[in-house]
Amino acid sequence: MTTVTTPAPVRPARAGRRRPAGGRVLLYAFLVTLLVAFALPLLWALSASFKARGDIFSYPPQPLPLPGTLENYRGLLDGQPFWSWFVISTVVATLSTVIAMGLCSLAGFAFAKYQFRGRNVLFNIMFSSLAVPFAVIVVPLFIMVAKAQLTTPYFALVVPWVAPAFGIFMMRQYTEQAVPDAVLDAARVDGCTEFGLFRRVVLPLLRPALGALGVWSFLNSYNSLIWPLIVISEPGDYTLPLGIQALFGATGRSYDLVLAASVLAAVPSLLVFFLLRKQLLEGLTAGAVKS
Amino acid sequence: MTAPTVRRAGPPATEPRQSWWSRHQRSLAPYVFISPFYLLYVLFLLVPILVGVYLSCTEWAGLGTPRWVGLRNYRDLLTDNSFWTSVGNTAFYVAFTLAVVVPAALFIAQALNSRGLRGRDVFRLAYFMPVVISPIVITLVFGLFFDNEFGLINGTLQALFGFGGIDWLGDPAWARITVVILVLWRWTGYLTIFFLAGLQNVPRELHEAAAIDGAGPIRRFFDVTLPSLRPVTAFVAVTVLVSTAQIFDEPFLLTQGGPGESTLSVAMFIYRAGFQRQQLGYAAAAGVLLFLVVFALGYLTNRITGVGRESR
Repeated sequence: MTTVTTPAPVRPARAGRRRPAGGRVLLYAFLVTLLVAFALPLLWALSASFKARGDIFSYPPQPLPLPGTLENYRGLLDGQPFWSWFVISTVVATLSTVIAMGLCSLAGFAFAKYQFRGRNVLFNIMFSSLAVPFAVIVVPLFIMVAKAQLTTPYFALVVPWVAPAFGIFMMRQYTEQAVPDAVLDAARVDGCTEFGLFRRVVLPLLRPALGALGVWSFLNSYNSLIWPLIVISEPGDYTLPLGIQALFGATGRSYDLVLAASVLAAVPSLLVFFLLRKQLLEGLTAGAVKS
Repeated sequence: MTAPTVRRAGPPATEPRQSWWSRHQRSLAPYVFISPFYLLYVLFLLVPILVGVYLSCTEWAGLGTPRWVGLRNYRDLLTDNSFWTSVGNTAFYVAFTLAVVVPAALFIAQALNSRGLRGRDVFRLAYFMPVVISPIVITLVFGLFFDNEFGLINGTLQALFGFGGIDWLGDPAWARITVVILVLWRWTGYLTIFFLAGLQNVPRELHEAAAIDGAGPIRRFFDVTLPSLRPVTAFVAVTVLVSTAQIFDEPFLLTQGGPGESTLSVAMFIYRAGFQRQQLGYAAAAGVLLFLVVFALGYLTNRITGVGRESR
């Protein structure tokens, strides 16, 4: 007998490990209840945005906007500079995200895969900046930006925030797990430059993490409220949250317009989330290196 | 000096002359890679902190030159009831987040990680949704839900149990509860994503090995899952601590810190002092105090979770 039989992978039989049906039912009941709890307020807002102003508060609540109306949307788009808010918010968030993804993965790669003098100290300095509350720098930062007359959204809402320590830390963690040293060394032997290594070898392996970082970064920028509230004073420079806040704060609490604006404002963030969902939810591809 | 002829295992130098950069790039590359971060760090973090420390010792309304007052702002803060109220409220928010939101997120992640779960993507997407949506939208809807007279919550309570007169936003104690309900609703799904990523990274073999050794699901959770999740948990705990310590959006939008100051957070206190009352020095001093506390707590949490990992 010379044929070597490879041992069949020993795996516990799937069927034998199936959970009891009762547990499954409970699990699904729990998950569905949560789903309703999380989705209901949003669906309510969506529905209410199509209701006439007087019907928004009617009780008992009508689940569907019948008869539906587009009056709220028309009022918003005709009477308010919604598109200006929208463009500023989207451009600012996209810019911040793209730059942050590049800078964070680059720095995360350096911390994860290089031995260099001062690495630990530099990493600790970076990491401890996570514990610096925004509130401590908000007053001086505002004064600096205002004195330098850089309160335009494309500077003030982008540049100070494009290298978040959170992102670097996250990318370092992922890089350590997802990028094997052997692959890097092989690429070096093939004559790859260090930056080429990053661009051609590391970045593709970091995809899931980049997706997660991208979503995080975009939403952070797109939804941020306190800093724009402080630094942006020109109504022409308003971002979406500022615009909606102004609408809401104005006399009469225009719930109808605010709801319509909210629904439209949610579109880009939902879109980003849905587009990058795969990468975000794929999680960590731990075994990218088995070959 | 003897020529090092013995060790020549590396790739043969094909190019006789390499540029200075290509010879040194491997040792210099990491510095180049982290330099953008450090440039921004100095400009937008280090300098503002130093300026903030200076401002905290001055009295300044934004015009003219700041007037040096030494430590007076700090002395005033420590005897300012509003400040202590905001500290107490913030501590409550932090404690709630760490004690309720983080475990809830871990629990949900665990449920979502169940084998053979159908519709996992749908659940995950739905749970994540609240954090995707702008906080102003969320708080608006919550404000309507929790409204004393027209709110859905009171209406539903009335219909189901016959009472529904809770003044969610107008009663100091209930207002605080409403804010943390909002925090729970908004952040749980977000944190779930991190735990889920961590859980999916736990090798199946570990679970299978433990199962073969006869460990039940609960044993496996404590002996396999939790230790593997240590890094994620530590990270989540630190970030949650730091971000909740500076909570602003929820109370600001939902209750404007009210009724009275019952939901006022430290970040709101700073915003109010600096940008509504033009007490920039006073606001900076409150910022420095918050910084010291948060930094110490963050460091401590990191230490504790880090030490726990080694003692395992």
